[in-house]
Amino acid sequence: MVMLKQSFRYDQTAARLEVEGLPDFSADHGSNAIGILSSWRLTMIGAPEMEGQRDHLEALMASVIPYARLQLSGVGKVQGNDDGPVRIHPAEQGHQLELISSRSGVPPLTLQLDDADLADLVRCLDALRGDPRVRINWPPIVHTPLPKRELAERTPLHQRLAAPVLGAGTFMILGLAGLLVPIPNPDAPSQTENQTNSQESLISNPSQADGEP
Amino acid sequence: MTDVSVPAVSDPSQPEAVLGRRSLERLDLLLLTVESLDLNGGEAMLWATRQLGFEAVFPNRVELWKRRCHNPLRRSTRRGSLSAVETEALIRILCAMADRLYPMLRQLLSSREPENLTSERWALLDERLRNLIEERMNLRRGAIQRLLDGEQSKPLQRQLVLTLALAAGPGGVDRLRASLLDPNP
Repeated sequence: MVMLKQSFRYDQTAARLEVEGLPDFSADHGSNAIGILSSWRLTMIGAPEMEGQRDHLEALMASVIPYARLQLSGVGKVQGNDDGPVRIHPAEQGHQLELISSRSGVPPLTLQLDDADLADLVRCLDALRGDPRVRINWPPIVHTPLPKRELAERTPLHQRLAAPVLGAGTFMILGLAGLLVPIPNPDAPSQTENQTNSQESLISNPSQADGEP
Repeated sequence: MTDVSVPAVSDPSQPEAVLGRRSLERLDLLLLTVESLDLNGGEAMLWATRQLGFEAVFPNRVELWKRRCHNPLRRSTRRGSLSAVETEALIRILCAMADRLYPMLRQLLSSREPENLTSERWALLDERLRNLIEERMNLRRGAIQRLLDGEQSKPLQRQLVLTLALAAGPGGVDRLRASLLDPNP
């Protein structure tokens, strides 16, 4: 009897991903290919083995690969839905991967990953997605440039607010200083006019005799 | 081990990436980090160029060096920007080089390695990167002074190494391209 079940393994130092499945002969796949994924297993060093179905693996890809892309831009943002099976977010020391089991009564699994573990996991997933023997149409992951707002969030809030607060403060101080400067009254005689008048009074009257005050 | 070779030809369906000033600086700094990790990095880059089929874009080391001189932080900088084909070629060369150096990148990033060994590795990288920066970059620029400053340089160097680790291999090309196309702050 011909053994049709195929198993491929993707190894990195801290991660091992194994997929098992069958070739899809109706889609004209060869015998050394996987067209129908039956199961997968992920082993990370220092963590229990994880396994699941195709949709769990797709959720893992959809969370971890975009998270790695954000890390390239220095943005640490949670990836994965709150009610989804996989979530990854930055932790105090590295990254935290949360896997929620679809089986009732199984508590969620939380893994602490350092940067090297994350890179290993991403490489395993990349290798699986790029493997020509695995003839599965994975959901596309499109990487796009980030909007400016998201990039701004990588700067601490106090640094982002420093420039506008300083600008607004300077504007207010200058405005208050401007208010303290007295506004000249147009009805009141100006100082120059007063000066001219006083100077005029100093000029002696030519009809006046000399010596008279 | 998985096969992580980079495809020989660039994918014409990819968007044309024309990099801004900051992205050119970043791309060249990443290549400089590769050179500081690999003492024979210049030769390896040329070898990768041939392996990936980019000989028409960079026929020799001088042409490769001239393209890298579009980095405004260089001591002898060139005006203008890289064409989309040249940018794509440099990104793919960088990802292939990062893939080759991945074990070293991993050692630097791992928290499971012995602490004294990791410190020595980082010190070695710091020394080599510092030497290359002093040799090739305009030391009056603020960005370069930050890279040479003892305290400020550490997170910057770690971010450069992490970028290389996450961009290593064929899967990293799209990620790195998208990250380089981020708008300038």
